[in-house]
Amino acid sequence: MGSLNTSLFIGLQGLEASQAALNATSNNISNSNTPGYTREVPQLSANAEADVNGSYVGGGVTLDGIQSVRDELLNLQIQQQTSQQSSVDTQSSSLNTIQSLFSNTGIDLASSLTAFSSSLQQLSANPSSSAVQQAVIAAGQNLAKSFNSTASGLASAQTSADQEVTQTVAQINSLSGQIATLNAQIGQTVPSGQDGGTLQDQRDELVQQLSQLTSVSVTQSTDGEVITTGAGTPLVMGAQSFSLQTTTGTDGMQQVLDSNGNNITASLTGGQIGGAIQVRDQTIPGYMNTLNTLASQFATAFNSAQAMGYDSNGNAGQAFFNIPSGTTGAAAGISVALTSPSQVAISSDGSSGSNGNVANLSAVFTNTLPSGETPANAYAGLVFQVGNDASNATAQSTAIGQSLLQLTNQQSSVSGVNLDEETTNLIRFQTAYEAAARIISTMQALGTVTLDMGSSQSY
Amino acid sequence: MRVNSNLVPDVLADLQQSQQTLNTALQEVSTGKSVNQPSDNPGASATMVQNTIETGNVDQYTQNVTSLLSTVQTADSALSSVVTSLTQAVSLGTEAANGTTNSANLQSLASQVQSIITSVVSEANLSYNGTYVFGGTATAQQPYTADSSSPTGYVYNGNNDTNSVAVGDQMNVQINLPGSQIFSNSSNSVLGSLSSLVSALQSGSTSAISTATSAVSSAISYVSQQRVFYGDAESQLNSQETYLQQETVTLTSQQTSLVGVNMTQAATDLTQAETANSAALAAAAKVLPMSLINYLGTPS
Repeated sequence: MGSLNTSLFIGLQGLEASQAALNATSNNISNSNTPGYTREVPQLSANAEADVNGSYVGGGVTLDGIQSVRDELLNLQIQQQTSQQSSVDTQSSSLNTIQSLFSNTGIDLASSLTAFSSSLQQLSANPSSSAVQQAVIAAGQNLAKSFNSTASGLASAQTSADQEVTQTVAQINSLSGQIATLNAQIGQTVPSGQDGGTLQDQRDELVQQLSQLTSVSVTQSTDGEVITTGAGTPLVMGAQSFSLQTTTGTDGMQQVLDSNGNNITASLTGGQIGGAIQVRDQTIPGYMNTLNTLASQFATAFNSAQAMGYDSNGNAGQAFFNIPSGTTGAAAGISVALTSPSQVAISSDGSSGSNGNVANLSAVFTNTLPSGETPANAYAGLVFQVGNDASNATAQSTAIGQSLLQLTNQQSSVSGVNLDEETTNLIRFQTAYEAAARIISTMQALGTVTLDMGSSQSY
Repeated sequence: MRVNSNLVPDVLADLQQSQQTLNTALQEVSTGKSVNQPSDNPGASATMVQNTIETGNVDQYTQNVTSLLSTVQTADSALSSVVTSLTQAVSLGTEAANGTTNSANLQSLASQVQSIITSVVSEANLSYNGTYVFGGTATAQQPYTADSSSPTGYVYNGNNDTNSVAVGDQMNVQINLPGSQIFSNSSNSVLGSLSSLVSALQSGSTSAISTATSAVSSAISYVSQQRVFYGDAESQLNSQETYLQQETVTLTSQQTSLVGVNMTQAATDLTQAETANSAALAAAAKVLPMSLINYLGTPS
């Protein structure tokens, strides 16, 4: 048979258990807006019944611990989707900057091509007007400037993507270091196989941040989490982190090296760094190449048309445009070579009033370039490509954003703090605490009665 | 199943989306364009490049047609005066050829024909907008200058070339005939026939006068034939002008259908977006502050 003291002891355990539960609840409420925090629930279990002189007596309650509620699978999915989204977001923001170069603003290439073409048609009607000749030169200069500014706009978008690579590598290294430290702490303080609690919350949050920067693959080992890039380059192994480095490549762009010095730039996908590398090494060079080809072929064709005629002084037409030899850098380097309006090769017979060669000059706009397209079509193709890429990136970002929102909601529904639930728990544990306290006071009263039994003195 | 109580990400996503729709609608109404950057409609943006260039060209072709029409009309009216002058010369020649005119009158007739030559030469030296119309492509030099060594008294300084001007993508109109073809052609020379008439009148030979007069007559029909060229050019330019006007309308309507907005539609969209946005805001304001805390009494 149990004694009064047994009940007193059970009541004490109840007080302690409720207190612990109240602690967990208040911790949940306090951390309801902490990023990465997962709600904690007290793990209570009933103690084994005790056999006291043949009768069984309840053993009270024990607090086994505080358990964080998390779903590792959801975390993994969220990490993957986050990598994808931040990759397309990085591309999308870069493409939005780029596409403003190709918008019909009045200073874009389409407008300059139009003005140059019109100026030649005007020259056709007024071959001997020095003002119209001057207008042709000016329109040619504007066209060259449009090529230059479009090329420099692309180059500066490429440079900022390059800077993003460097910055992201620094952030990745810093996060890897922090994760390794947390791995070590978890290894020291949390027994193997048990939940890491807040430390694990922090680590999950850091891995989540890391997956914004690059796609990562996370595995568990006896030393803690092992994190590698999508292509398998180790970033964190237990308590050890591996720093990535950058070095300037042959093309002047930053190359990413792993801790052994191997170039892993091309294998980095996903996340900000993947998006930045994609834009820097694939997207922009593609546009630049099309633009350079157009600039080079157009200028070459126009110079050949100039060479077919004679200028106003009866001399054979000189090259209208200066272009760097070779296609690379053509758009950035194109400029007008002619210095005087009289040098435009308008005449086909050497007399200053002839407009016979203007048709050859205009034909550059309507004939196909060696690329197989007219200048306008070649440029239109580039506009389409830029617009399509930008539009795709935005659409992808929206789609991934939706699915990420779903996953985050699922994660919240598992791990998030619900204030209504916590408030209810607060009332529940408060009542339990009050009831346990009542056990103590009842036992105290009973103890007094017992002591009073054999005495005239009242205790 | 445990329900997610954290509505903030959902509410934010919804608000962002409705704000985005509102911005797009507002931009369409304020710019009057449905395509403001290539990503709004890549295909339309690409087609617009072609449209922009074509529109620029058509505008210039239209200006070319307008300026060429006045050049051609001026040239044509100059040739018309030449025909009038030649007709005068023929009637003077016919008067002299009837044999009753005395020698003094013949000299006077000769000087009248001489002044006709001067007026024809001044028409042949017609300059329009600073360029000589009948000098071939040598438009900077005066086509006919006096030269006593020449049988006609004048020498041609121009060349035999012509200019064609672009008035359409595939259309060039020849806009001049060289003076050498109109006025000093080897078989039907206007100036040659007139100067022969002057010599015949001065010589007083009736038969020579009559031969020279008939040469001037055939020069009239020759010049009239040349005028047909200018008439043709004028009608070509006129019909091209009509075509270019249609082309402008076509290009503008293509532009509108590619990147323009239907204002009624855009204004309705804007109103809808505004309503949706304020509904989303109102919903957020209602839902976000909801909590059990609001309904519990303060602990005693």
